[in-house]
Amino acid sequence: MADKAKKKSRVFDYFCTGEQFAGGVAWCAGCPLELIARFVPKVLGKDMVLVGTPSCAAPVFHGQNVGAWHKLAYYACVMTGVASSAAGLSRYYHRIGREATVVCFTGDGCAADVGFQPLSGAAERNEKIIYLTYDNEGYMNTGNQRSSATPLGAATTTTPVGVAARGKPTLAKDMPIIMAMHHVAYVATASPSHLEDFAKKLVKAKAKKEEGFVYLHVFCPCPVGWRIDPDKTIQVARMAVRTNYFPLWEAEDGHFRLTQEVAEPRPLAEFTRLMRKFAHLNEGEMANLQQVVNERYALIKALCAMGKPPA
Amino acid sequence: MVIKRKNIFKNESAWSNADELFLCLDTGSWRTQRPVLDRAKCNYCGLCALYCPPQCLKDRGDYFEPDLEFCKGCGICATECPRHAIVMAPEGDFADEGKKGSG
Amino acid sequence: MKAKKGQVRVITGNAAAAHAARLCRPDIVSAYPITPQSEVTEMLSQFRADGLMDAEVVEVEGENSAMNLVCAASIAGARTFTATSSYGLVFMYDALLETAAYRAPVVMVNVNRETPGIHAVSSGQQDMISTRDSGWVQIIVEDCQEILDQIIMAYRLAEDYDIQLPVMVNYDGFYLSYLAEAVEIPLIEDVDRFLEPLKKQPERPKLVPGRPVGCGTHGIELGYVEARYKHCMALERVLGKVDEIDRGFGAYFGRGYGGQIEAYRTEDAELAILVSGSAAGTARTVVDAKREAGVRVGMVKLRLFRPFPAGRLTAALRGKKAIGVIDRSVSFGWPSGPICTELKALSSGLGSVPILSYIDGLANMDITVEHIGRVIDETAAAARGEPYQEVTWLPLES
Repeated sequence: MADKAKKKSRVFDYFCTGEQFAGGVAWCAGCPLELIARFVPKVLGKDMVLVGTPSCAAPVFHGQNVGAWHKLAYYACVMTGVASSAAGLSRYYHRIGREATVVCFTGDGCAADVGFQPLSGAAERNEKIIYLTYDNEGYMNTGNQRSSATPLGAATTTTPVGVAARGKPTLAKDMPIIMAMHHVAYVATASPSHLEDFAKKLVKAKAKKEEGFVYLHVFCPCPVGWRIDPDKTIQVARMAVRTNYFPLWEAEDGHFRLTQEVAEPRPLAEFTRLMRKFAHLNEGEMANLQQVVNERYALIKALCAMGKPPA
Repeated sequence: MVIKRKNIFKNESAWSNADELFLCLDTGSWRTQRPVLDRAKCNYCGLCALYCPPQCLKDRGDYFEPDLEFCKGCGICATECPRHAIVMAPEGDFADEGKKGSG
Repeated sequence: MKAKKGQVRVITGNAAAAHAARLCRPDIVSAYPITPQSEVTEMLSQFRADGLMDAEVVEVEGENSAMNLVCAASIAGARTFTATSSYGLVFMYDALLETAAYRAPVVMVNVNRETPGIHAVSSGQQDMISTRDSGWVQIIVEDCQEILDQIIMAYRLAEDYDIQLPVMVNYDGFYLSYLAEAVEIPLIEDVDRFLEPLKKQPERPKLVPGRPVGCGTHGIELGYVEARYKHCMALERVLGKVDEIDRGFGAYFGRGYGGQIEAYRTEDAELAILVSGSAAGTARTVVDAKREAGVRVGMVKLRLFRPFPAGRLTAALRGKKAIGVIDRSVSFGWPSGPICTELKALSSGLGSVPILSYIDGLANMDITVEHIGRVIDETAAAARGEPYQEVTWLPLES
């Protein structure tokens, strides 16, 4: 018996809303998307309106005929229409005075690629919606094809490794920075390994979306696509933060701030060795990737130091 | 034309309704390993419950216990537990292998 | 009960469309400018700015976003309006399909213009033809008054509980978009009264925060089939409903258009021509002239394109000895024009008579009085049993 029982983590306070999803849903064992998806309505409330599209989330977010896997109101649309559909919902609910938290929930494939145009447009218009992207760095629902969020050198089915190729030849788009440059109300990165940080950002997102557009970029390691042992996915997410591969920051009305300062960042190898998608990288390629991580972090540090960047 | 079907959808268009049909998959039958708790080591920190993607850890007042009904056997609870109070054991070792119900 | 006389103003087709939208009190309006439609988007923004229209006007970054936005708003319960043309219409194609399958009662004007590939900023019906399988109701109008009137009727049709389908009102770019004609703009209270019956009908399904219902579920096997079937059946119901609404509009506002088709001087005609859009206006004058010259010709103006008004076309054209069809577009894969090819599907009902196809009016090249005269002459020759050419590309043979 635990006679030195600790109090439960504060994050449990956010579990005020009951579980909205069915007990058994078709997400891979160990997939952080399941954690993220179940967590979000617990913080944002069960009357949030989900806007979804083909993605890893779709088989669970969208129903099968009349049946559904969760109790949230949802609107499923084509990938080219997520942010614009959400804007239509949000504008109408505001018009009729109905409280609504409209939340787009897409993968990086939609946000960075096929659905980027409407996302950019909705952000520029400062539509009052929350756009949450879970970044598993590829088109995972269709079997691990590359997206523009796939990192340099990563092996995917469309950027494979062979005698004539070494994984993805180009750098990933930096989606959270791009969205912050739309001068929206709130942008934040989050990780399923840091739930307290994530919850705070969700709470802030709900408030800020009354003022304008909110973009949340959530790290989501894919055990199947990245070839991670299913029990290590949260560890991978944590290591991404600790190596500065995925820094946790927020930009509220353009003020950048790191929400987790990593005192002594771990070498990138401690992150990459937990998965197989970088297994082929030689020393030079690894050093290059470490450089990419360092420069990206330096940019964020510089933005934080600027106070409010020029409009 | 003779139509021999009943309406799947009540309305003109295709909407789902969780009140009419709330779906659930028997994901407990997926696993090849299951979490086993050593209650003596549990300090009720709740990390296993927080990080379990299908939310299978149940609050028993001063410890958390795996509920095997929907457990997919990913092992995150065992990896995240700071006290190593949970270990993953092969599903085949258990008489009720692959069946639903609490451990 | 009849509507009061509205204000008669000389306005363009685009302006007529914008006024019609304003009169129907939309909740959400969203469109992207494109020649020859841009004026519609400008006027809608100006109406809002001037306090003349209390709608959310969203200036989106592309037509695809415009359609997605109004479709979602419509599913949440809004009355919506959008406008586009050619490139914009095909850019929103995925959303177009979704809107129809979701049975969202969006009303849109499409200002007919040629489609991408041979870059053209000119009039033609290829855009409408390119989206004929989108599942939308598609109507074609002839003049600026009809643009305004048809938009009002479109809301009455789209939002009808028995229908619940989006409606596309097509009008010729350049010929009507920029043409200024005298248009009677009804009073908004009279439009309210015309649309009033919708309020007494049952509510269509809506997306409500907190209710566990979702729009856009996966269609699995029979669920998919059922949804498609219901959609097709709704399109069938549109046929009769269009006529019913047109009669009601005519009785109330004093302007009727015949519903699915307008049959002009067809009752005692020996031969007939089938036209659509602004060309019908020209055709009417040529028909009158030919009648003076003793040719017993009639004209059918096709108004409803989707669903295809098979019944009323058969009734109007049965017994005619030959029919000439003027298409303002091409049918890739068939030698005859699109509307002509569809009419030929009614051959058995029409009596297997010569049906002559004329492709004309592409790229803003006028369908002239001479062209229509030739169509009638050649169709008359076919009616007399003389040899005829099945398909004629008038711009190339003139």
